[in-house]
Amino acid sequence: MNASVRTIGLNGRELLLLAACALAIVVFSIAAPAFGTPANAATILRNSVELLLIGLGMTFILAMGGIDVSIGIVMGLAAIAVGKLLEGGAPVPIAALAGPLAGMALGLITAAVVVLGRIPAIVGTLGLLGVYRTAIFVALGGQWLSGLPTGLTELLYARPLGIPVSAWIIAIAYLAAWLALRRTPYGPHLLAIGNAEEKARLSGIAVTRVRFATFVASGFLAGVAATFYVATYRNVEMSIGSTLALDAIAAVVLGGTSILGGRCSLIGTVLGVLLLRILQNGLLLIGVPSLWQTVVTGALLIGVLGMEAAAGRLKFSSIGQAAR
Amino acid sequence: MNNDFLVAKGVTKRFGALTALSGIDLTIRSGEVLALLGDNGAGKSTFIKVVSGAHPPSDGTILIEGQPVSFNSPKDAADAGIATIFQELALSENLSISENVFLGRELTNTVLGVPFLRRNEMKQRVAGLLDELDADISDAEAPVGSLSGGQRQAVAICRALNLNARLVIMDEPTAALAVAETRKVLGLTRRLAERGCAVVLISHNISDVFEVADRMVVFRRGRKVAERLRNETTPEEIVALITGAHPDVRALEKAS
Repeated sequence: MNASVRTIGLNGRELLLLAACALAIVVFSIAAPAFGTPANAATILRNSVELLLIGLGMTFILAMGGIDVSIGIVMGLAAIAVGKLLEGGAPVPIAALAGPLAGMALGLITAAVVVLGRIPAIVGTLGLLGVYRTAIFVALGGQWLSGLPTGLTELLYARPLGIPVSAWIIAIAYLAAWLALRRTPYGPHLLAIGNAEEKARLSGIAVTRVRFATFVASGFLAGVAATFYVATYRNVEMSIGSTLALDAIAAVVLGGTSILGGRCSLIGTVLGVLLLRILQNGLLLIGVPSLWQTVVTGALLIGVLGMEAAAGRLKFSSIGQAAR
Repeated sequence: MNNDFLVAKGVTKRFGALTALSGIDLTIRSGEVLALLGDNGAGKSTFIKVVSGAHPPSDGTILIEGQPVSFNSPKDAADAGIATIFQELALSENLSISENVFLGRELTNTVLGVPFLRRNEMKQRVAGLLDELDADISDAEAPVGSLSGGQRQAVAICRALNLNARLVIMDEPTAALAVAETRKVLGLTRRLAERGCAVVLISHNISDVFEVADRMVVFRRGRKVAERLRNETTPEEIVALITGAHPDVRALEKAS
């Protein structure tokens, strides 16, 4: 059922999300005059770019039954690399590439810990989160990087074929993710691993290689997000990325990807990210303190998982045989 | 004689002090359904694990088409054309039928180093196989999770055929199935043999065995105690052989 629908259009969950986005837009436009302006729409879209990139990676990680709670801080560390290079007067292309490279290097570490070390992903990435937090503090020396040179930022003003660079980046990342998932053997292999790792191994899938590559790819996307972040804001603050992992997991799960693996939706992730950012922006504009943003995100995540549990969807496989 | 696919000679398997199999001589022929019968712990599963490469034998030899082989892993056995369909089918319920049939062996076209799936070709191959097996499945794109137990057996058989299996071992394929489904799977088993495959069927269900098997081998306490052609025996005799009430078995067990 789902199998035939998922490639051609939106399934029920995705339509529901679209409706929720539309409803939120209508409600906030009425409640806050500043919400329904083109400038604010641009703000929401700009604030969604990093989360979209990281969310695509998180979709793959959750689809294979993994998780990465350190991904926001990975983006933070990569952003520090970009920022320090800019600050030190490095050429703009070098600084821009430093983000994805640093992200990939950190993705390699995550993969080594979780996949080669055979440590459950939730615990392995939680351990890395602890290490990276201090690494950020040490790297910044307790001081923000701010007022960075504008060279990288100017790249964002380019509009190839009249379309902003950020839209190009998102479109290319989405297309690559979609092709990998639906048009190469990687997709069925990833989903088979998420369904039941042992069965996937019995079927002759190179489970270790697929899992390893997925963590590295997710690190790469977080690194691209880091370059984008520094280009947009021209600073790196101490708390960079601290809520991104929660935002990403919430958006991806909202989008219909199973927290236990085996099922995912890329378009769902995009809609989940947009809904989350619309809610966060709208609540701020109607006067809710920003402190409450993570409350809303956490509550959404728990609410969605609660509904899935009630609907009996939180199982490893449809015949209930958990192979782990 | 030339349709002997696999010949086991004196196959013995010991686990420490326990002898799970002792001196099994057995011939598995192409185009024939061979039933392995026996009580729990009789050695059927151990024998199957030796033949499918999961356990190396402690003693004895296995010949495939006259050539001695030694399997170090299930992959070696699979490469030799042996497919085992276990009770807990190794299918991914969240993937489609054709994705399952080709899982780990997808057909691809490589463009700029990226292996793109040849989806239509795989779909057609699977539809053809399902049709050939008369499996009663119309859509090769349906997720396996939506199929019945018997249909899942058909998918597992398709997968084995697609991997060019020449010996298909089926472990209790009808154990969890309703009556109509059981008939379907027995039909599939028969058609597999008619296609020239060698089929080994493990079952506790005597009436199933009498419906499809050409030959029956009874295991008891790690030994082969009897071999019968279907038209030379009766269900009563087979049951007596399994339980040890049969005079032949008594004589054999007294002698040792």
